[in-house]
Amino acid sequence: MSSRKKDLRLNSVSAGTEALFHVILCLFSLACIIPFVFVVIISFSSEASIREIGYSFLPKSWSVEAYTYAFRKLPQIWRSYFNSLFITVVGTVLSTAMCAMYSYALFRPDFRFRGFFNFLSFFTMIFGGGLVPTYIVCKQLLGLNENYAALIVPLLVSPFNIIVMRTFFKSSVPMDLIEAATIDGSGEYSTLFRIVVPIAKPGIATIALLNALAYWNDWFNSLLYIKQNKILQPLQALLMELQNNVDYLNRMAGHLGAAAINEAAKLPTQSLRMVLVVLIVVPIACAYPFFQRYIVSGLAIGSVKG
Amino acid sequence: MKKLLALLLALTMVIGLVACGSSTPAATKPAETAAAGGETPAAAPAEKTLEPVTLKIWFHGSTVTPDASEKVLKEVNAYLNEKLNVTLEVIWGTWGDFDTATVTALTGGDDVDMYFTCNWSANEYNKYARDGYWVRLDDLLPTCAPELLDTIPQGIWDCAVTDGYDGKGIYAVPGLKDTATQNCWDVNGTLLAELGYDVDAVCAAGLDYFSPEFEEMLQKAKDLKGKDFYPLLIEAAVLERMVTHSSIITGDIGSGNVLSYYYDAEHPSKDIGSTIVNKFATDEFAKFAAKTYEYAQKGFISPSCQSVATANDYRTATQSTGAYLIGTQSYAYGCEIEYADARKIDVRMVPETAPYMDCTSGQGAMVAISATSKNPERALMFLNLLNTDSKLMTMLNYGVEGYTYNTNADGTITFTDERSNYSPWRNGMGNVRILPPTASEGLTYWKDFAAYYDAAEALPMGGFIFDSSALETESAALANVYAEYAFNLMSGAVDPAKVLPEFQAKLEEAGINEFVAAAQEQLAAYLG
Amino acid sequence: MASNRIEKHKKTLVLLTMVAPAAIWLILLRYLPMGGIILAFKDYKINPRNPSFISNLMNSKWVGFKNFEFLFKTNGAWIMIRNTLAYNVVFIILGVIIPVAFAVMMNELTRKFVRKSYQTMMFFPYFLSWVVVSYFLNAFLDAQYGMIPAMQEAAGKEVTSWYTTPGPWPYLLVFANLWKNVGYSTVLYLAAITGIDASQYEAAAIDGATKWQQMRYVTLPHLRTMICILFIMNVGRIFASDFGLFYNVPMQNGALFSVTQTIDTYVYRAYIATGDPGQSSAAGLLQNVLGFVCIMTANGIVKKIDPDSSMF
Repeated sequence: MSSRKKDLRLNSVSAGTEALFHVILCLFSLACIIPFVFVVIISFSSEASIREIGYSFLPKSWSVEAYTYAFRKLPQIWRSYFNSLFITVVGTVLSTAMCAMYSYALFRPDFRFRGFFNFLSFFTMIFGGGLVPTYIVCKQLLGLNENYAALIVPLLVSPFNIIVMRTFFKSSVPMDLIEAATIDGSGEYSTLFRIVVPIAKPGIATIALLNALAYWNDWFNSLLYIKQNKILQPLQALLMELQNNVDYLNRMAGHLGAAAINEAAKLPTQSLRMVLVVLIVVPIACAYPFFQRYIVSGLAIGSVKG
Repeated sequence: MKKLLALLLALTMVIGLVACGSSTPAATKPAETAAAGGETPAAAPAEKTLEPVTLKIWFHGSTVTPDASEKVLKEVNAYLNEKLNVTLEVIWGTWGDFDTATVTALTGGDDVDMYFTCNWSANEYNKYARDGYWVRLDDLLPTCAPELLDTIPQGIWDCAVTDGYDGKGIYAVPGLKDTATQNCWDVNGTLLAELGYDVDAVCAAGLDYFSPEFEEMLQKAKDLKGKDFYPLLIEAAVLERMVTHSSIITGDIGSGNVLSYYYDAEHPSKDIGSTIVNKFATDEFAKFAAKTYEYAQKGFISPSCQSVATANDYRTATQSTGAYLIGTQSYAYGCEIEYADARKIDVRMVPETAPYMDCTSGQGAMVAISATSKNPERALMFLNLLNTDSKLMTMLNYGVEGYTYNTNADGTITFTDERSNYSPWRNGMGNVRILPPTASEGLTYWKDFAAYYDAAEALPMGGFIFDSSALETESAALANVYAEYAFNLMSGAVDPAKVLPEFQAKLEEAGINEFVAAAQEQLAAYLG
Repeated sequence: MASNRIEKHKKTLVLLTMVAPAAIWLILLRYLPMGGIILAFKDYKINPRNPSFISNLMNSKWVGFKNFEFLFKTNGAWIMIRNTLAYNVVFIILGVIIPVAFAVMMNELTRKFVRKSYQTMMFFPYFLSWVVVSYFLNAFLDAQYGMIPAMQEAAGKEVTSWYTTPGPWPYLLVFANLWKNVGYSTVLYLAAITGIDASQYEAAAIDGATKWQQMRYVTLPHLRTMICILFIMNVGRIFASDFGLFYNVPMQNGALFSVTQTIDTYVYRAYIATGDPGQSSAAGLLQNVLGFVCIMTANGIVKKIDPDSSMF
């Protein structure tokens, strides 16, 4: 391959290879972004255009009807935006901290119960008790019902994240650094937060991103635990509900009587579906660069040597 | 190490069970009170001293914002407090979330007193009655809900009778709504006239799916409107039942129908044998499938109608533009007027069958009292009032006067803009016939509505319900075979000459014969 | 000596306080409900005398393995098992190679801005649900409105009925799955690469290693642990499938079942038909047990080769 070229630069691949990388990555990235562009276009397409030519990159006419419909149908959309934001911020901070602490202990080879706690989390990745028993424990034992906690607590721990985080620690934090810190009299908490966390920043940012996404996209816990006090509904749950209503009316209109049939006939069904996607994706996509800063940039050499 | 872990696991499970068991005293109480209630047969409501209670009810299909709910419930509760000393809490269930959320709440034994239920969604009335989720009402009805007992016609009560946990009886209050089924051809009169037909004459004469005239109409429309116009707008499953004159059997697999029960299209109550058969093994089905495939090949049916995932979207969208000649419609009283308004065309409903009453219509919307309810008697008293008291029904269904609607001089009502924030599913609440008519419905709406539905004949199989709980293995396998073939056959997407035998073989492998035999045996026993 | 031991105990105690929050959570929200596993062997019914879940569960009849029967009732069973396993094997292999390659490539790009842009774009599929993806694909393949059939028609070729022709679907599904998940895994690997101490590269460069040699001897060994761990975890899910991919993307068309039916879609369709929680619990349990066996095997193999990279 081109790597054997004579004019090797010390810290980069040859220009030709880099160009090839660009082509591959660029093509794939485009394939990834185009569907989203498509979604945005459909969301602004008029329903008449969709009826006539189907989903298309070049609709016959444009319209914001579906957006107006969504905002009219969802008077509490701003409150839901706030709920989602609140849940996501609190949930991400808590879950990432819990994950980091748990993983740190598992990462320490001198931790006596390492094997036990490792298995404790791993086992739940494979086996679970199912929906109803979990629901009962959460609701009746822990009181997760009609409150913000019900939207935060059920997603706090992910065994997958614990294992990934431990792997990040393993591959980026040198053990001798921790030993050195211990000899210097640093307590475990201060070692974790002052030394390990800064080094493992890319890993922690990745886990935080995954957690943030999980919270932002969650609608299922709201479905289960927020039934009466619906002002607590996060955005995704609100949108899901509207979507389900529309689909259901479409499908079941025959069963539901004249009023429901009439309602179904008026829905901007197809563009609405895409509007809901845009409403939920745009905010979190905007938050993405915040996490990315830590994931991509890495660290200065100095801090590792501490 | 592993042994230790296994031991620990077993331990946590046991602890878990014990902890959960002891942490649900709330759920154990109703049993005690129920038992106590059983010992004192004089459970008749002593009207002077009604204890104040809170009742929780879970509706279906609502679009209600928290603010609107608060406003309306304040009024409702003021009224209920005075009448029954009851405070009502409502869970405004929406369409789609109902399946998972409600099933979980029911299985988990939530403290909800009343649930909407029916026999056509996953939330099946009969199944849950059988499994013990609902309170049997027969003994309570005469004492707690005498007016209700009189208001609802006997025929509807009969439909509500099911073989439940505590024996055969009534396990929910059926709603007095559109209680009959009628399959109609939805004809675009405007286009039909354009093709040179005498619309009134054609509609009066009726339509026959298999006739050359039917095909000629479709062909003419296709010729006139061009290649991309599809004159026959179908909902595959409805089309099949409509053309073959078969009815749904309650208790069939939940995701579709593999059973057929044929009835007489003109006089549904006429006995023509009363047998349940394998839907896909009959000559009627073969004839229907062949014809539909032929129509599809001629370009009368849109490919979008032939894909499960796009069919509903396409149908709704196409109906609203009027770009069809003949469609299928499970009729709801008065719907052609609303359609004509919305589609800006002349919409005609041409009956294929006479209206008939079966379980599907009788159990279309019901409210059941949960086995976890601490106050089943009071819940029934509430349902009694809701279904007989026009003021309460109007308030809960339409909202508060001056807020969500205004009353006109002639007694009809007109909704305000706030109605969009408070629209429960009207038919899901019970007796809709005591509601005031809206201005567009007109003063005599409910009278005509009642006259239409009450005239419907009952099928010879009456309120038969198939209990397939012993055949769940078969149901599960059948559902998958059904999903693989049925829709494509019924929408004309595949050639029945090739596919039908293959389908039939797989159905047999999945146990269709045992399934049909069990249904037929139960029906024979039911009819005596 | 004694003080040393006290010191050791103290350290263990402190570390225990670190695991405590998550451990308590796991016990409460994961282990307590595990009693529900017995649902798979029960015919669940309400006990109206005491309608709490526990008493219902206790009073329901034991039915042995009856809840498992529906999985093997027809010849369709082996098709769905074959599909589930075959797709997963392909996903696991490509799901390692491609993201690792992308992460390494991305790491070599000189312009940070471009690198960030690619990475952001690659993450977008992760935001879109399978339902939305199915509509996107449908815009191309739809028999009535699709762009590809329209092009075929314009070119005078025979129009393919995409949603009733199983042939191309394995490729489409593999591509769709990669498309959706590659960005996500790439981020994981990229974060692992970023965590590499830059001095290792410097040292290698000083020793005269070319960039390709640096990749091979510094980057890849460094990623080995992450690769192994993700591999092991994916093997554990080999009997499970991404429901939305197989249910929504082929638009639920029955004519494609020979290549789209997996265990999860089969169980879902069965559940809709029967509403029986026992059957789905049984299927889930079976998937988990088999997954557990696989994950232990995979872990054992990895442990033999590279003890540091195994899960435990």
